[in-house]
Amino acid sequence: MGLHVAPKTAEQSPIIEFRNVEKSFGAIKVLDQLCFSVKPGEHLALIGPSGSGKTTILRMLMTLESVTAGDVVVNGVSLNHEYKNAKEFPASEAHLRKMRSDFGMVFQHFNLFPHKTAIQNVTLAPVLTGLLSKAEAKKRGLELLEKVGLADKADEYPSRLSGGQKQRVAIARALALQPKILLLDEITSALDPELVEEVLNVITNLRNETDMTMLLVTHEMGFAKDFADRVLFFERGKIVEEGPPGEIFHSPLHERTKSFLRKVIAAGQRV
Amino acid sequence: MNWSWDYVSEITPSLLQGLLVTVQITLISSVVAMAVGLFFAIAKMSANRWISRIAVMVTEAIRRTPLLVQLYFLFYVLPDIGIVLSPLVAGIVGLGLHYATYVSEVYRAGLINVPKGQWEAARACNLTGRQTWTQIILPQAIPPMIPPLGNYVIAMFKETPILSAITVLDIMGEALAQANFSYRYLEPITLVATGFLFVSLCSAAVIRLLENQLNLRAA
Ligand SMILES: Nc1ncnc2c1ncn2[C@@H]1O[C@H](COP(=O)(O)OP(=O)(O)OP(=O)(O)O)[C@@H](O)[C@H]1O
Ligand SMILES: [Mg+2]
Repeated sequence: MGLHVAPKTAEQSPIIEFRNVEKSFGAIKVLDQLCFSVKPGEHLALIGPSGSGKTTILRMLMTLESVTAGDVVVNGVSLNHEYKNAKEFPASEAHLRKMRSDFGMVFQHFNLFPHKTAIQNVTLAPVLTGLLSKAEAKKRGLELLEKVGLADKADEYPSRLSGGQKQRVAIARALALQPKILLLDEITSALDPELVEEVLNVITNLRNETDMTMLLVTHEMGFAKDFADRVLFFERGKIVEEGPPGEIFHSPLHERTKSFLRKVIAAGQRV
Repeated sequence: MNWSWDYVSEITPSLLQGLLVTVQITLISSVVAMAVGLFFAIAKMSANRWISRIAVMVTEAIRRTPLLVQLYFLFYVLPDIGIVLSPLVAGIVGLGLHYATYVSEVYRAGLINVPKGQWEAARACNLTGRQTWTQIILPQAIPPMIPPLGNYVIAMFKETPILSAITVLDIMGEALAQANFSYRYLEPITLVATGFLFVSLCSAAVIRLLENQLNLRAA
């Protein structure tokens, strides 16, 4: 784990900044003049109704989606532009690859490589990107599988793993590139209810034991409350309200937030 | 009309020679079909709308006209504009081009069936474009392509007799030449059918073996 030595202070410069970010798919504007920033080591939960743009935000950071207007800045460097001789250019693939190396992403539907075993899924990227030698990658890969409780499944193919096990391999795979920022997009929503906890436990451990910056998109309000230092409530591509989980979940200021939480509670969730 | 074994042994050598030509035509045409098919598939999936549209039009045009007409075109019409092809070359080009349109669909379907999430996971793993293709996409796309490609090869093989229409001396061409000479059709045509049946059964068995191998590896 790359240890941050810098103390976490209020003035610390942000690791992620969204500056007036706009995203449209054709005529549909999905994100609208979005501004927010994330401090290094912060645990952020993004909540909001379906279609509010939460996934799009994570996908933009992972450079799976481009920015229509505005700027996403990571560690002071623009994701979508490059500057040469003080002139602005669209980011090249080389620039994107450099920027991507700060991020790891876990997907809702795991997206494991089905033709690779669990350990191969975990070691593939560090070896191919030249981060680690084969032997180092294998050693570290086994440590990671151990950490997510799957040391005994290292040589299984994904088709022989349960949903919860697949997702834990996917978490190990995301960690293998030693990211500074981990993006988690509804990582339990494709799982049977009894498999949710084993995955959330892994995330809780990561949260407590590492200093990674983590962005979590979730519909599990109970988990968001325990996990997050700060919660952003989105609607239609805008932040309606933000604050510490205690405030957002127990004394929200906005009518929109209140009605969203009422619906969630009516659907049977603990908040 | 009675079966004559003497006649059979007399014509067998030239029919075997024809069978060899048939197999050669099938193999070379298959290579042509797979190479040109790849080209068609890439063009059809091109991000450039014009390229993909033209590729779809060309492949549809080839697919929706009979092979026999295309062969006549290559062999009897092209010489009018100064392009003279030997029967064998015209036959291989015709067969290869015709089947390239089917093969391109196999490629396209194979690639499209790799879920979008695989591309995204490769991107999230920070793989290069080349690594994504060679390590992630092709290893998943190719195995399901093999049975349909094999079946097209067998289909091409069964369609080679049509090349006798442009005077190719494949097994059918040889048989017809013999029959025209002796006015006996029973033995030559029976032998042609037997030859095709034999080779088809053998190649079907090989394909099934391949399929089993692939399934074993996928499991
Ligand atoms: N590739 C795309 N093409 C067109 N529209 C898209 C695309 N991706 C997302 N959208 C639209 O953008 C909007 C925001 O989508 P997004 O996936 O970010 O929402 P979300 O907040 O993650 O929702 P959910 O909670 O359902 O996952 C939606 O209206 C969606 O239909
Ligand atoms: Mg989403």
